[in-house]
Amino acid sequence: MKVVYPHMGYLNIPINHMLNSLDISYVPTPRITKRTVEIGSLHSPESVCLPYKLTLGNLLEGIDAGANCLVTICGAGKCRLGFYNTVQKISVSKVMSEPFSFYAINTSTGLFNSLYNFLRKASPRSSRITIAYSIAKAIKMLKAIDTMNDAKNYYGPRSSNPELLIDIYKTNVTKLDKCQSFKEIEHIKDQTLELMRSCADETMKPLKVGLLGEFYVVVEPYVNFEIEDTLVKLGVEVKRLVSTADWAYAQTLLRALKLYNEETEHLDGARPYMNYHVGGEGLKTASEALRCAKNGYDGIIHAYPFGCMPEVVSEYALKRITADFDLPMLALSLDEHSSGVGLTTRIEAFIDCLRRRKTQRIRKNAALL
Amino acid sequence: MIKVGIPRGLLFYDYGSLWSDFFTKLGVPTITSSETTKKTLTDGTNLAIDESCLPLKIFLGHVHALLNECTHIFVPRIAQHHKDYYYCAKFAGLPDIVRNSFNIDERRLISPNIESKNLYHTFKACREAANCLDASPIKSYLSYLHALHEYKNTQNLSCKNKDTFVAVVGHSYLLHEPFFIQEIKNVLSAQGMKIATPDQVPPKTLYELSAELHPEVYWQLSAKIVGAAQYFCALPNIKGILVISSFGCGPDSLINEYIDNLILKPSGKPYTFVNLDEHTGNAGIVTRVEAFLDLIEWRQ
Ligand code: SF4
Ligand code: SF4
Repeated sequence: MKVVYPHMGYLNIPINHMLNSLDISYVPTPRITKRTVEIGSLHSPESVCLPYKLTLGNLLEGIDAGANCLVTICGAGKCRLGFYNTVQKISVSKVMSEPFSFYAINTSTGLFNSLYNFLRKASPRSSRITIAYSIAKAIKMLKAIDTMNDAKNYYGPRSSNPELLIDIYKTNVTKLDKCQSFKEIEHIKDQTLELMRSCADETMKPLKVGLLGEFYVVVEPYVNFEIEDTLVKLGVEVKRLVSTADWAYAQTLLRALKLYNEETEHLDGARPYMNYHVGGEGLKTASEALRCAKNGYDGIIHAYPFGCMPEVVSEYALKRITADFDLPMLALSLDEHSSGVGLTTRIEAFIDCLRRRKTQRIRKNAALL
Repeated sequence: MIKVGIPRGLLFYDYGSLWSDFFTKLGVPTITSSETTKKTLTDGTNLAIDESCLPLKIFLGHVHALLNECTHIFVPRIAQHHKDYYYCAKFAGLPDIVRNSFNIDERRLISPNIESKNLYHTFKACREAANCLDASPIKSYLSYLHALHEYKNTQNLSCKNKDTFVAVVGHSYLLHEPFFIQEIKNVLSAQGMKIATPDQVPPKTLYELSAELHPEVYWQLSAKIVGAAQYFCALPNIKGILVISSFGCGPDSLINEYIDNLILKPSGKPYTFVNLDEHTGNAGIVTRVEAFLDLIEWRQ
């Protein structure tokens, strides 16, 4: 049995680590390229959302590389994610001549149990403790990656050489792969933070932008054309309000302990613009946008796949929020035809506009004094 | 003078009579927006975010038409009726979408939250509706029960017929939207084709078929479509199946692929998908339906 699973951001580092430590054989998911997009789109319904096409592309490329056990997620809900696997299975069976297995980890019944059960099956010789430990370690790694990313986004625009910090981040993230213990993970994280801090001047006050929207496109640099790094290079502090680690943590541990309830998590924060959960990240997007509006952000960027159901609902709320609070917003609706050049131009224009607003405001304030 | 506006869109086509009956029994006058016109669609499209599905755009057009005609607007949030089935994100966010699009006074919006059919939730929803109208919650609840009883009794269905049919399958708010469907019906009946739709089959039958053969499907409305496709494919007097869906519909983008591969293709019956959007001219639709009719004839 050879496992393959879809790509998403740096998720491959902790997951591969987990599979290695449990002796599960897998095909390292090829990085997303133009070819992934092409074969994914070719085998997908035309109007389905972008993550569907790319994750299918990943699986098909994985099959080419010898995988025969495809692992994705499922779970009933208001949006499409839970139904991906059903239709992807149909598409895969059309191209796959040999037998294959398709395993969908169910998020609606608790990620932890479902993931645990899968690992038990895939690695029958590992003990329960080993499996639980390897899941915990993967989450720890994810958290470390997120912290390092946040640090890069914070210190980068405050340093004279943002590209250097981006490099440090990228190099050190791959080092996590070799970590054997929690302590080592912690060590690499601390070192990275220390190094970044020493490069930055914390008295600087760069523009601050909130990045929110649908999970996949916010987290996967290939589809958002490395939007975070683009902003950092432009000298803008970007706060990514969607995090893989928080999600995984909440879905596995907290939920297993019944400490987490998605329905209530963002309800208060989004009122009065959104009063109900609409699936996906819809409600969270609205509540985070409102938080940005109330906390002095210079602007927000709403990134989502074209036609994404929950995000379209929250886009209605965001339009109202940004109008009520006079908060500039850039809405990026992405699909397989989006171009990196076009996107960068739009981001640059948006940042220019934010800069002008900021200088005007400073001048006005100075005049008032 | 209180007057509740009921937009003629989305689930109106399933539950509209129940809703207006409920308000009547409560002693509250209602007004329903008139049938969709070109203007409804244009207004809705201008108000909506581009990527919204067509039925949502039409719905917003209807709300727009009602705003000056009534004191309150009825936009329930219907997220779930059954524990295994969900409505799509647009339904779950419908009152919020309306509130944000029109920036209307909170008190004008009657938007009970319907998440389950159990007694507690039903009562809560009735109370929410009553609160907006200064009515008594008990009276509201009784009116609802009364209206529901009558609603169930009016649903007498017939599909026992020896004639041959073309089945037209899709969301109720597309199949009942004269603005789009009339032309399709005209083409079919001009060719002497009788039409069978999912409403002619008891909903219970459709859901049961779907639950039994396609347990993966978890959207309420899609389950009904899947059940209908399955049902019609098994009937010998159904000559072909026309699946109507709309631009921007999230569930349909996957469900159509699913039905295509797992139900329609294996059935061996002629079938076609017709996708509607706000730019679809009637000419385009007619061509597709005619091609479909040719296909049926050719198969025979
Ligand atoms: S959240 Fe959006 S992009 Fe993700 S599956 Fe749902 S509809 Fe598609
Ligand atoms: S089911 Fe489709 S058409 Fe109906 S509201 Fe949802 S997205 Fe729109």
